[in-house]
Amino acid sequence: MPQNAATAATQGASALVGKRDKTTKKSVIFADKAADWIITVGGLGVILAVFGIMIFLLQVVVPLFTGGSTIATVSGKAPDKPGTVVMDRVDEYRTLSVAVTTRGDLSAFHVPTGRAIEAPTFDFGGKTATAFARTIATGDIAFGFADGNVRFGKTGFEVKVIPLADVPAGAMVLDRNDRTDGRQIFTTLPGNQARQISISAAMAEPQEVSPGAAIVGIDYRVGGTVERPTRAFVTVDDKGIARLSLAETKVNLLTRKETTEITTSTLPALPAGVVVKAVLMTEKADQVYIAEKSGRVHRYDTRDMTAPKLAETVDLLPQGVELTVFSFLIGEQSLVVGTSDGSVDVYFRLQQAGARSTDGYTLVRAHRLEKQGAAIVAMDVSKRTKMFVTADAKGETWVRHSTTEQTLLRLRPPADFGAADYKAVAFAPRDDAVLAVAGGGRYVEWNVSIPHPETTWSSIFGRIWYEGYSGPEYTWQSSSGTDSFEPKFSLVPLIFGTLKSTFYALLMAVPLALAAAIFTSEFLHPTVRSVVKPAMEMMASLPSVVLGFIAALIVAPIVEQNITSVLLAFVFVPLALIVAAYSWQFMPQTQAIRLSGVPRFILMFVALAVGLWLASVLGGPLERLMFAGDFKAWVNRDRGSPVPFMTVILLPAAFLAASYALRRFGPGPRIDGMLRRASGSQAAALDGGRWLALIVAALILSYVVSSLLAGVGYDPRGGMIDTYVQRNTLVVGFAMGFAVIPIIYTIAEDALNSVPEHLRGASLACGATQWQTATRVILPTAASGVFAAVMIGMGRAVGETMIVVMAAGNTPILDMNIFNGLRALSANIAVELPEAVRDDSLYRMLFLAALTLFVITFVVNTAAEVIRQRFRKRAVSL
Amino acid sequence: MTAVNIDTAASTGKAKSSVYRRAHAADLSAVGEPFQWVLGGALAMGCVLIAGLLLLVFWNGLVTFWPKPIEVVRLTDGAMVAGEPFRTESFRVTADQLAKVPADKRAAIATDDGFADRTLYRTGNYDIYNDDFRWVPDYEVASVERPADMVYVERLEWGPLIGRIKSAIVNGTAVPADRLTPAGLAAAHDAARARWAQIQHIERDLIGDVNHTIEKARLRVRSVELSSGADSPAYRAAQQRFSDENVKLQERFQALTKQAQALRAEDAKDTVTFAEIGGKEKAVNLSAVVRFFQPNELSIFGKIGVYLGRWWEFLSTEPREANTEGGILPAIFGTVAMTLLLVIFVAPFGVITALYLREYAKQGRLVAVVRISVNNLAGVPSIVYGVFGLGFFAYIVGGSIDQVFFPERLPSPTFGTGGLFWAALTLALLTVPVVIVATEEALAAVPRSMREGSLACGASKWQTIRRIVLPRAMPGIMTGIILAMARGAGEVAPLMLVGVVKLAPELPIDGYFPYIHLERSFMHLGFHIYDVGFQSRNSEAGKPMVFVTTLLLILLIVVMNAAAIYIRNRLRRQFAGSQF
Repeated sequence: MPQNAATAATQGASALVGKRDKTTKKSVIFADKAADWIITVGGLGVILAVFGIMIFLLQVVVPLFTGGSTIATVSGKAPDKPGTVVMDRVDEYRTLSVAVTTRGDLSAFHVPTGRAIEAPTFDFGGKTATAFARTIATGDIAFGFADGNVRFGKTGFEVKVIPLADVPAGAMVLDRNDRTDGRQIFTTLPGNQARQISISAAMAEPQEVSPGAAIVGIDYRVGGTVERPTRAFVTVDDKGIARLSLAETKVNLLTRKETTEITTSTLPALPAGVVVKAVLMTEKADQVYIAEKSGRVHRYDTRDMTAPKLAETVDLLPQGVELTVFSFLIGEQSLVVGTSDGSVDVYFRLQQAGARSTDGYTLVRAHRLEKQGAAIVAMDVSKRTKMFVTADAKGETWVRHSTTEQTLLRLRPPADFGAADYKAVAFAPRDDAVLAVAGGGRYVEWNVSIPHPETTWSSIFGRIWYEGYSGPEYTWQSSSGTDSFEPKFSLVPLIFGTLKSTFYALLMAVPLALAAAIFTSEFLHPTVRSVVKPAMEMMASLPSVVLGFIAALIVAPIVEQNITSVLLAFVFVPLALIVAAYSWQFMPQTQAIRLSGVPRFILMFVALAVGLWLASVLGGPLERLMFAGDFKAWVNRDRGSPVPFMTVILLPAAFLAASYALRRFGPGPRIDGMLRRASGSQAAALDGGRWLALIVAALILSYVVSSLLAGVGYDPRGGMIDTYVQRNTLVVGFAMGFAVIPIIYTIAEDALNSVPEHLRGASLACGATQWQTATRVILPTAASGVFAAVMIGMGRAVGETMIVVMAAGNTPILDMNIFNGLRALSANIAVELPEAVRDDSLYRMLFLAALTLFVITFVVNTAAEVIRQRFRKRAVSL
Repeated sequence: MTAVNIDTAASTGKAKSSVYRRAHAADLSAVGEPFQWVLGGALAMGCVLIAGLLLLVFWNGLVTFWPKPIEVVRLTDGAMVAGEPFRTESFRVTADQLAKVPADKRAAIATDDGFADRTLYRTGNYDIYNDDFRWVPDYEVASVERPADMVYVERLEWGPLIGRIKSAIVNGTAVPADRLTPAGLAAAHDAARARWAQIQHIERDLIGDVNHTIEKARLRVRSVELSSGADSPAYRAAQQRFSDENVKLQERFQALTKQAQALRAEDAKDTVTFAEIGGKEKAVNLSAVVRFFQPNELSIFGKIGVYLGRWWEFLSTEPREANTEGGILPAIFGTVAMTLLLVIFVAPFGVITALYLREYAKQGRLVAVVRISVNNLAGVPSIVYGVFGLGFFAYIVGGSIDQVFFPERLPSPTFGTGGLFWAALTLALLTVPVVIVATEEALAAVPRSMREGSLACGASKWQTIRRIVLPRAMPGIMTGIILAMARGAGEVAPLMLVGVVKLAPELPIDGYFPYIHLERSFMHLGFHIYDVGFQSRNSEAGKPMVFVTTLLLILLIVVMNAAAIYIRNRLRRQFAGSQF
């Protein structure tokens, strides 16, 4: 502002004096200010945006680890009905709840207010049920009676969406959204609609199962298809006789007539005097569990209905502890066992060699969950996940997750609730509420939010024992066709896959790229360099999808066909080059100097071609010699001995050992002296001869060591090398190596090149050869820059996506085998994220994978950058 | 090192004149010849790999469209196979295959270590044999011929057909036998193709127009419903208008359908019946034949004609048959559109950030840290940017845009899912470090004296930057932008998450307001490679197409890179002498 005033003043003055206007134009000042402002805001904005990525990823990931939370607690009192409550259910929208008693009464109430809703009753003729069974998800129920009869029924909620106008005018207002006409609840929905919910219940006529003996345990399943429904039930009476019945209803397609066939068989007898606590049966009726109060469980194999067998009898509990709850989790594989001392364990059937049962399976305790403070009195399981709720005698209700063994929520009733003597608990169908019914019709409902029960730190990074697995493992399997699927979210196999592919890619790329960079900067003719360098740089922007496609569809089949040649190339190419070098030494020195530029480089190509040609030609014969004629069979240990292969692998080490021995114990120093005295061709012959002798010695040494190792029983097959798969790590290593070579090469070459010229000059002037200058002056000076190049290459390899998606086979396994596939973090994201539902566990897990990648590469790159900048500073100061 | 040299000198001295000449030569081990050769070999290997890769892609890409001869192979068991020889390889003969081989040939296989050669024939006729390809081992071949009358037919459906023309019906009447050649049928074929184009025009453009109008009217009604409620008079009026309009549109729709049906009925009168080598016959509508010719009879000019025709088809039409045939116009379009959009985002932001870092920010520890971070962001995996783009741009930003601007289209998302706009923005984020780094380097290279001179002459800071610094830094900036484009054009992984699809129903630019539809999903050359190579029913059938697509993508990127290098060199020369 003062500036403007001053400008105005000077303007006035200039007008008087008539001098040239020296003031800055307003538009210039404005543009300057605007640019200032825009550039500062824009610059800071971009930087912020870039850091926002990390924060955003973090924010998506955090809910995975927050467990559950209670949103609201409601308690109230529903009408009290005679008899013991055996079950309580809540509808999907947490509006209506119904409790079922042993007398056949249904007590329905509006959950938010506790207002009684009219519900049908089952007419048991005044009798009280002695046994009760229910299915997890469908609402099918069964009662057993003292006279040996059973009755089957169904309870459920009828939900309809109707126009708001159709809600009866006289409906009583319950709360803000809900109204009732006594039998039904109407919930107002947006868009002038209402949801009508009522109770449905049906009960079939009694069936006599065990004449004269009271039913003490029952379980009931409805299965099959709509056309061929099957109902299976198992009963145990007080005489200890267990019966399994299967009713199959067939509908004749032509006549539409239904015929029901019932087959009943008696299970092998239980020991006399057992007190049966619970009976369970799987949906296919191929397994029956009868649990005694003492914790002894009899497992029956009923795959063959006509000849059921007692598979095993196990004691699950120590002396003095009583079984109180016994139930399947969804999927009917895991069994939850709750006891009078508050402990809760999860068991499942596992196929084991040497199992002490008739069917080869044994019941194993897979998970010990946190112990509750008092006896478990009631439980309910989730209809969609491996969660369940357990209520104890002291009034605590815990929400737990079986797979991760975590306790997600510890729910307590409000202070004014009174005695928390829970009779039954219910887990709402959407896992968003828990309802517990206590004596006298009092109930409490907790609205909960447990979005990601299956993820904890230990389930993501640790071993977890999944259903049907023989032990705790690191597994990634995010989805499957069935509802009862247990998602397996371990990032370990994926991180392993990333590291494995990175390792092999670097194994391939680092030696090649660094060697090429050293040669380019120190030995290559400048004109060649000016072509090679930009070509390599351009390769850095070659799309990786191209490399992936070529690796998977062109290279992989070729490598598979010629695997021996490919492996041999690693031996023959260096050998050919070295032999060529020793031959080159025979060249008279003047000639050698004259030809040391482009012609020598061309000869290197020739030597390379000879090496490759030898590898391809000798592939067949050597496959017979080394791998008994068939590499894939050899690698499976089907045939052949490991000695020839080990001989080749150990060759470099043996060569070093032999040359060390020659120098230390043999005539090494004397040969060195002779070399110095000899004339050109003599020296070359001597040098070449020494090398040949060393190679032969190394071969013999290596063979002897390999034979000894093989004699001891060591076999390299089965670890790093094992069964061959077409899309394997070797191919990925090639392709990814190819992708990172240009990057490592360019940066390393830059680092070598930026070593000040005066160092090079000084070294050469002192009489050092080019080779000596390169290895002892240039390389040590540029070491940190070269190291940074490797780190940056590694950063690129870690995050490379398309190559691993296409060429790696995408099998998430923990296997060091170079001939097997892998699944990397990046490929996993690319494959699974397009299918993931927003904000569900898989979605967040994939964000966690992305965050992991982000952090790995950021750390690696930052380290590389810091090293590089330090190097740059040092190079400048030299 | 020095010790060795002194030693060498001493020993030469001792050896006196006999080895005097060696005094100039170093010890062999000091020269390190074998090591040098290994290093050189590594460089040679790198060159060979690169050259091999480019050669592979170029060769395969260039020969794909060249018409190959059709060979008719009579097998030893009397069966006939007709097809284009695709490639030959040697394979290990399995035991049960070997059992069926006659004794004399078995001996030949035995001398070859149990290997035999086999040729892959592209037999076509997928609708008849459920397979496009067939391996024929050499030991099964009785004779090979190249009959002139074999016809190669490219169809709209079911891939190629290989056979002989048996009969043809044009306009309901049989064609005389002497005109049963591709040349003889050419006129009828052209007419049929023109008719087919007309049907396409009616069914896609005109009927599509009607559908678009109906959809727009429906959305208008829905938006009235959302703004003034379902029982408001405004809504009822809108509803009424809609149904009036709808009646008219339905009439037009019916009329167009009828017109198309009439054309189709006419179209069905033109058919060609082919007899394939196994004796089965197949009648094909003449309009469903894209191109047919007798490859064994084709002159070199004819072959060039087919070759160029196929290239033109490839570059100018839409894909068909799950992308394994037809053209890739939408993919080229998508790639170019996305890359251009990317530049629009990346250039200003990258340059502004670099200007801030270099010219405006106080050079301290903080700026150094920021600079390192920005450098390293270039190394963050592209898939991470894709994840961010999906989660933040598409779901959060796009979702909010939908809520505010397109509520009538919900629940189907408009901007709330992957699309061209979000893809370009994601890739801009991915490539912005490239531009920042390049621009910063270019700005740093402008001599301080020039800035100071400008400021001393009384120019403001912005004037100095705009008139003095930026023009000098332009070559570097341009290089950075072009390199960012090249990187962006070749990235596929993030696009898989933010909007690339295997088959886009509509291009992002069309004749409907607002003409440029940035929210639409799009096709991309890189993703096309992945999709055709890995997701199609027969990756062998798709492989030639993949090679051509790869060739195109590589060319695109090489051209951009070369342009960057060219511009850099040119502008560098231009400003080389302008230093004070």
